[in-house]
Amino acid sequence: MAGNFLADKDVCIVAYGETKIERRGGRSAYEIAAEVAEQLYKKTKLGPSDIDGVTFTVPLSECSNPFWSGYATEYLGISAKWLQTSDIGGASAIGNVARAAMAIKSGLCETAMILGVDAPSTQWRAYYGSYRNEFWDPVGIQGPPGAFGLLMNRYEHQYGIDFEGLGALAVAQRNGAIKNPNAYEKLKHKITVKDYIESRQVSSPLRLLDSVMWCDGGNGLVMMKTSRAKKLGLGNRIYPVSYAEISNFDCANQTPDITATGHSVTGPSALKQAKLKPKDVDMFHPYDDFLFAVMLKTEQCGFAKKGQGSQFLRDTDLGPTGTLPINTGGGQISCGQPGLAGGGINLTEAVRQLMGDGGRRQVPNARNALVTGIGVIPYGRNWGTANAMVLVN
Amino acid sequence: MATASTAKPRPVPKPTPTTQAFWDGAKKGKLMLQWDPVARKYQFWPRANSVRTGRRNLQWKETSGKGFLYSFTVTHVPTPGFEDKTPYVVGLVELDEGVRIVANMINLAPEEVEIGMRVKVAWEKLNDDIDYFAFEPDKSGGGKKKT
Repeated sequence: MAGNFLADKDVCIVAYGETKIERRGGRSAYEIAAEVAEQLYKKTKLGPSDIDGVTFTVPLSECSNPFWSGYATEYLGISAKWLQTSDIGGASAIGNVARAAMAIKSGLCETAMILGVDAPSTQWRAYYGSYRNEFWDPVGIQGPPGAFGLLMNRYEHQYGIDFEGLGALAVAQRNGAIKNPNAYEKLKHKITVKDYIESRQVSSPLRLLDSVMWCDGGNGLVMMKTSRAKKLGLGNRIYPVSYAEISNFDCANQTPDITATGHSVTGPSALKQAKLKPKDVDMFHPYDDFLFAVMLKTEQCGFAKKGQGSQFLRDTDLGPTGTLPINTGGGQISCGQPGLAGGGINLTEAVRQLMGDGGRRQVPNARNALVTGIGVIPYGRNWGTANAMVLVN
Repeated sequence: MATASTAKPRPVPKPTPTTQAFWDGAKKGKLMLQWDPVARKYQFWPRANSVRTGRRNLQWKETSGKGFLYSFTVTHVPTPGFEDKTPYVVGLVELDEGVRIVANMINLAPEEVEIGMRVKVAWEKLNDDIDYFAFEPDKSGGGKKKT
């Protein structure tokens, strides 16, 4: 494997922005992008003319637009030397940090904006193609919840699931959302483990409170070379120090163990490249489309033993002052998922915490974070893209 | 989420040049799979290429239509065309030929389903062109019960 291109801390994040999460807010992805960009300009004292690279996550609300990057940057008034819209779904957030780092290091651009903006609860324009029309949609499977129902049931068969552990995670994330001004207002009320257990089945054994809710919102970062950030006096710098990505893990195998995901490769790889052991990780910000994905990643990134994820969640303090703080701002499950910008919820919270802006949910002395992404639900498996990044301050 | 009171139509597949042979077999009650003559293995779902060698040399073969239930989920929030069926079972079936298929499970109640049970293909007529695959319990005995 090639060397770790992020090890030299040559590229850094200097600012984050995030809108409040809304449901059917009525605004387009463009209008949301304008709000995120303005936040970033205010924090960095930069303007549109200073940004020469932009990377986006493809929005569900703009999927049918073949020129999204061009339209969006024209809207924002940005003349760019480097544009890229990534379509690895929730893996795009940290995936785009890695891609922007490459673009900056190679000189394609100097100052990059990493934007995730989407409004699927206002406007849904997705179409999938491939096998979906013939071999998925007519089957009656309930989309991602159905796929996770199959995955969870198989895992339960092989290892067992303590649902009180998933409930403990639901409660911990909800407590974070209550302290997060950007979380969707209707999700900001306490829940108990009993509420989780008793929430209605969607696609068994997956329950309503296992799941995200489609919302609208956006988030973003500004990245540049560390030397340039110092010159501009941008003092609160966060460094991505390792990255690993895999799509379609074990793809050709027609009878894989579906409880083994790409994170069993990328989680340990990101930690190893950053010279960290799981016990050294100050906080974990895993992509959370469903609670079970977080559970499986606690195992595959090395925090919990194989088959023991739910017990680990039950027995670990997951809050901001706990042993392993997880998704301290509520994650997507308790903030609402702003469409395919959702991966940015987990990433933005990690950056916010590392900058010391966690407020009432600040993780004391947070020096590093492991952030993961998940993109796309493949046919009868777990998830398509599995990536992981370590960030430090 | 409110359940629609009037049933929507179940989606109907639109075959492509590659998948037509699958649907032609289905009309005759045959579950056809693509066989890779180099890797000497089957693959599913149908594609123009082998996922193992990348070659476009796949052959269609009729299969036993039998296997075991690798996993399942009981669906309580229906998809279009399934509004009057809840709760219903969607299975992940492992065929004896060594591929997995996501399919509706029919002719059984949710409480009868268990991982490892033997199943066989069954067909549901969607229209004059498409018979759609599903699976049902295989009570004939034999076959490997695997979990």
